[in-house]
Amino acid sequence: MFCQPKTMSPAAKRYLARFFPAMAAYVAVLFASVWLIKHQAPHGPLLWVLAIAPAAPIIAVIAIMGLYLIEETDEFVRAMLVQAMLWGIGVTLAGCTAWGFLENADLVAHLPLYLVFPIFCGAMGLAQPLVRWRYR
Amino acid sequence: MKNRLKVLRAERDWSQADLAERLEVSRQTINALETGKYDPSLPLAFKIARLFSLPIETIFQDEA
Repeated sequence: MFCQPKTMSPAAKRYLARFFPAMAAYVAVLFASVWLIKHQAPHGPLLWVLAIAPAAPIIAVIAIMGLYLIEETDEFVRAMLVQAMLWGIGVTLAGCTAWGFLENADLVAHLPLYLVFPIFCGAMGLAQPLVRWRYR
Repeated sequence: MKNRLKVLRAERDWSQADLAERLEVSRQTINALETGKYDPSLPLAFKIARLFSLPIETIFQDEA
């Protein structure tokens, strides 16, 4: 995701060492949560805990991305990432706003809010090579 | 901002990777600095000046 492995900074290595376990935890928690809600039919506070559980590793990933920004010592790499993140935020906000109004008119299906973070990641990922290309 | 990094580097027969290593940044950062598309922060500019033992204003020119 961030720069080439050969020239990867210690901060980028720490980022990956945190990112992959968090994503593995996400997959495990998501499957457990869905399975338990479907098969155990919990209710009350337990249902709340199980329902929100998959958000925790995703929130951790957001924090891990923030930590990388703080820890990366190469200011140019940091600046590229910030620009890509801003593109990601802009595209996500614009896209979700437009989609919401289309939903209002029953023109498109409902977009679950948990898709907002993957949309942001996708937009940021697409923006990264474009941002770098401008500085070639 | 224009700068003389490429010339200074060539005078010492350093590759972009050599300079990157000495400044503890990535090679792509050196490339962006040399093309003048990215202006370094003050701390990085001072680090560059110290490395070449030159005043900052003889390395970077701020006129258009």
